[in-house]
Amino acid sequence: MGKFSLKTDIRSKLAIVLGFSTIAVFIQHIYVLFFILILTISIALIFGANILKAIRATKNLWYLFFIIVVLQSIFNRNGQVLLSISGFPLITAGGIIRGGEFLLRVSIIVFSATMISTSSSREVVQGLIQIKIPYDIAFMVSVAIRFLPLLRNEIKDTFTAIQLRGLDFKKIPLKKRIQVYMYIFNPVVAGAIRKARGLSIAMEMRAFRAYKERTSFLLLKFSTIDYFILGLALIFTSAVFVVFYYFGFPESII
Amino acid sequence: MSFIKFENVSFNYQAQKPLFNGIDLCIEPGSFTAITGPNGSGKTTLGKLAIGILKPLSGKVLLEDRDISGMSLGEVGGKIGYLFQNPEVQIFANTVIDDLTFIMRIKNIDEGIISKKIDTLLDFLNISDLKQSNTFNLSYGEKQRLAIAGILINEPQFLVLDEPTTGLDVERKKILAGLINKLLDAGKGLMIISHDHKFINNFSGQVLRITEGTIYG
Repeated sequence: MGKFSLKTDIRSKLAIVLGFSTIAVFIQHIYVLFFILILTISIALIFGANILKAIRATKNLWYLFFIIVVLQSIFNRNGQVLLSISGFPLITAGGIIRGGEFLLRVSIIVFSATMISTSSSREVVQGLIQIKIPYDIAFMVSVAIRFLPLLRNEIKDTFTAIQLRGLDFKKIPLKKRIQVYMYIFNPVVAGAIRKARGLSIAMEMRAFRAYKERTSFLLLKFSTIDYFILGLALIFTSAVFVVFYYFGFPESII
Repeated sequence: MSFIKFENVSFNYQAQKPLFNGIDLCIEPGSFTAITGPNGSGKTTLGKLAIGILKPLSGKVLLEDRDISGMSLGEVGGKIGYLFQNPEVQIFANTVIDDLTFIMRIKNIDEGIISKKIDTLLDFLNISDLKQSNTFNLSYGEKQRLAIAGILINEPQFLVLDEPTTGLDVERKKILAGLINKLLDAGKGLMIISHDHKFINNFSGQVLRITEGTIYG
């Protein structure tokens, strides 16, 4: 039996992503952010997103997020001191809360983006065009979606190749490691330029131009469920902001 | 003692049917081995398993009797060189000389030794005239020879070349064949992954064919 997934228009997914990301950026309340994260994951699963695959794909990014959380916890001095060294407050309750908020915020943005991955790149571009995003920008998005996996593989191969030149990353000091990273950029950037040049030639050979007036075989149509999702996303996002800023949420736990 | 040994190795990519199921293979030091087979048969995967870029799901790949999964790529690179299908991913600097020297400079090797090594290597590969050239302007064949030079700088005992004849004309293939013979004469072992049978027939050694996850000698 196939996995259940709700088929909806990309524009209604974009509305949810926009709403949740806006809440994540502007609302500083750990309980609200936690609730939004649970909601984001649940909706992404309903749309058929592969959350585990997204976590695996962004594995290295999570290490970076974790370092930021630790740094944020150390540099925030609010709230009860939980750990101090010679009277210098190192970890405070406020720092941990702010770090937690940051982690929840980026998780909402990453997981809400998985909702978009449940539509094809062609649908994403068509959705952007139909919400009147200029074609040039929509086309750039489609090229980015198309070339991102290729670029990722190329970076991976380059990273492997530089290590195979006899470099043991764990054994070289940080300063030299940064120097090596600069060298990795060279083939990646050169490859991207070459691909862009090849792509533009191939497109021009097919008489492609970014004309404003375009016809498309694929036309997206809003169904009842899409109108319902769009309305719900708008009402929910507005409600969170009104309740948060007008009525005020319960004070933070610190 | 085998140089590279596959012991009951199984491998498959995520959510795909098994590519290799319990294969055994021995590659002797200083020998020539050609891996052939249709597209998608797993030739490149076998090469990447041999050098430790990919890890087997079960079984072991041994390099000089040591489990390769316990070795870093840097350590493996000192023993085996790998030429990627696209040599452009292994050219890192803007000039030929910088590309060949930057790793040695990072390792704090003496400038005199670097200079001597580079001159010998460029001469060996017949690309001395390209020493100061911009890597972006090199032809495909020149880029390939530069990538091989980058590999040889580590003085590995063995080289794995993945589809080295792709994009080369008859003349460039002859130059590459001459270079491979020179490497074999210098005592280097070689594994060539290719479906260019005419090219492979230039060398004497074992030819292995991969079909549906099985290796035929």
